[in-house]
Amino acid sequence: MKREAICYTAGELAERGKNNIPDELLSGNNLVYSSPATLAYNSPGAEGFGVKRAGLSVPESVMLIVAPGCCGRNTSLISSMPEYKNRFFYLEMTEPDLVTGRHLNKIPEAVKEILTFLKEGGKSIPRVVMICITCVDALLGTDMDRVCRKAEDFLAGSAFAGVKVRPCYMYALTREGRRPPMVHVRQTIYSLLEPMGKDARSVNIIGGFAPLENTELKTYLELAGIRNIRQISTCGTYEEFLKMASANFNLVIDPEARAAAEDMNKRLNIPYIELTRVYSTDKIRSQYKALASVTGIDIDDTFEKAEADEAVARLKDAYPDLVLNVGECTNANAFELSLSLLRMGFKVDEIYAVAAPENFVYVKNIAALSPDTKIYCNMEPTMLYYKISQSKASITVGKDAKFYCPDIPNVSWNQDTRPFGYQGVRDLMNKICEALKEAEA
Amino acid sequence: MKGLRKVLTPFAPDQSGASGVLYSMGALIVIIDAGGCTGNVCGFDEPRWHESRSAVFSAGLRDMDAILGRDELLASKIKSACDRIDTSFVAVIGTPVPATIGTDYKALKKLIESKIDIPVLPVITNGMKLYNEGEKQAYKALIDEFASDTPAYRDRIVIGMTPLTYGRYHEDLTLDDIRNIRGAGELIAASSSGIDACEYLGKDFKIVSPLYKDNIPEGIKGRTLVCHDEVVGKTIRDAGVDCDIATFFKLHDIAKQDGDKKITEEDEFIDLVRNGGYDTIAADICLRELVPDFEGRWVDLKCFAISGRL
Repeated sequence: MKREAICYTAGELAERGKNNIPDELLSGNNLVYSSPATLAYNSPGAEGFGVKRAGLSVPESVMLIVAPGCCGRNTSLISSMPEYKNRFFYLEMTEPDLVTGRHLNKIPEAVKEILTFLKEGGKSIPRVVMICITCVDALLGTDMDRVCRKAEDFLAGSAFAGVKVRPCYMYALTREGRRPPMVHVRQTIYSLLEPMGKDARSVNIIGGFAPLENTELKTYLELAGIRNIRQISTCGTYEEFLKMASANFNLVIDPEARAAAEDMNKRLNIPYIELTRVYSTDKIRSQYKALASVTGIDIDDTFEKAEADEAVARLKDAYPDLVLNVGECTNANAFELSLSLLRMGFKVDEIYAVAAPENFVYVKNIAALSPDTKIYCNMEPTMLYYKISQSKASITVGKDAKFYCPDIPNVSWNQDTRPFGYQGVRDLMNKICEALKEAEA
Repeated sequence: MKGLRKVLTPFAPDQSGASGVLYSMGALIVIIDAGGCTGNVCGFDEPRWHESRSAVFSAGLRDMDAILGRDELLASKIKSACDRIDTSFVAVIGTPVPATIGTDYKALKKLIESKIDIPVLPVITNGMKLYNEGEKQAYKALIDEFASDTPAYRDRIVIGMTPLTYGRYHEDLTLDDIRNIRGAGELIAASSSGIDACEYLGKDFKIVSPLYKDNIPEGIKGRTLVCHDEVVGKTIRDAGVDCDIATFFKLHDIAKQDGDKKITEEDEFIDLVRNGGYDTIAADICLRELVPDFEGRWVDLKCFAISGRL
């Protein structure tokens, strides 16, 4: 037995082609190794903004998790954050519930009891109760829309009439299905919006659950006369959130929000434009040009592009032979980021990410520039044997990369707030520079 | 309402307990889930995961795998992993998914063993019971598969001193300990699951927590309610403290005295504290939120299975 982690070089993968990706690099063919990245990728409630936190991004909402105890266990991590205090509740399923489905009958009463508990405790009454259900109900085929309607009806005529009850599906089983949990939860959230008059000077940025960082995108929109740039995370109240329905158009910054944007287009008549987070300043410029052309606004990005390019040049001057390892537990597509770093003139020794067919376009380009770059799959069982000593990197990017290479300086770059555009490039370069200098000191 | 939690988060489930027992034994551990349960185990309930790598894997089930009951695919995945990873046995741990689709664990064991040359231990957990049940199931499966009649082994083996009960003060068992457990000079049950395992072995044993033996937590004074694992409570009582035991986990008759209570709901704990006339509560500090009006003394008796604090 070799006792070593399986990897392929970018050159080998490019030669095999998109339709012949080795089994070891694809998800679904193997047992899944427990690395930080797979916990985040494979478990919809484990890391960052999973379904639970996402559902609670609606202002003035609470969540009732109706599931076996195991599904709510790690919520302790989130519940300890001040913003989630008194917002998570649990209705634990038992074995008889599994057989009879009687837990569903208890939901309306449980919702009322929670609302009463909050009221009697002097807390404000939530506007929305999210009901989070998990794999068990996915398999039982529970009609949660009906259950939620029943709960709303149960509240009618009480002190809690008008409180909305909506389903959140934390179905890990459907992670790679047509409507994965993180797609579905976004649809649920924006389904709360109701039609209202349009405001030509309002725009929504949708996709994230924490605000965008201080990116130039907002500045360009403001310079174009947009007065209200709404993100769900910056809506302080439910009323403010509802005003998202008045937007002239939506900017979609995460493909997982595409289905929600489609829904809003059909139901609320809000068209959308999709923007991708990339780390190539040329690509960022093309994207802004396309945005300007579609929306009819002027975008002059000369200053911001120069600033980002300068940050790249500074890092290159300071560390001309910089070698990086890049993981996928980060605010980037690991393959796109690796390709951008190679095009900036750096070297990428190892990438830890699922080489899905949609990433193959990057793999091909990486192979052209750096055929020996090694590609590992975070989920593959032999990652248990990954040896840091094999790596030539001087710094790693991504929380998963730190897990594999704990002794190499790391920029985790997986903060809740989202970097975007030139700001993302500039700040990442600066962070890498700082981490390297700190390691030298 | 029964089963409704308004303050506390759920406690460690049975699958975490099973995984915790097996973690140190060199097994290839496969949690039969889609990923979320493994995320809970490794990302939360297994403090050793942050310090040392262990072969804990998710079966990576997808909806059609569960709907169609693709046990053959699961067995193939396990075989493929065994071909590439050194391991002495495979443990398959149940979750709500196999519980829902009615997985036949005996058949699954046979199917996997037909493909590989090492033993397969199914641990029948379902995510709806508490961690002590999972620990018990894991000990039983290990004993059934590996324990043999050894004439003499170590002087003493402590069973049930897992991280979920004892946090960083856990004491791991090895596979050799299990193989030779019948030959141990003395068996100590250090927790509820330890009592179950010792009873299952059918040998004499002592019930005592090595951590709290002759080591009464500082601050305990007067009439006390200890809310933790039953063995922790019993050990504190045996050290001379005037206390009742309340536990969210199992309470065996062998450890129970008048005044002790197995509790399940938040309200039961609140009632006990409000009406028990206790001077001191010795319990994980996270439980204090249930009884903010309690004016007595509170001794923080950490319990990882309750709060996840080490």
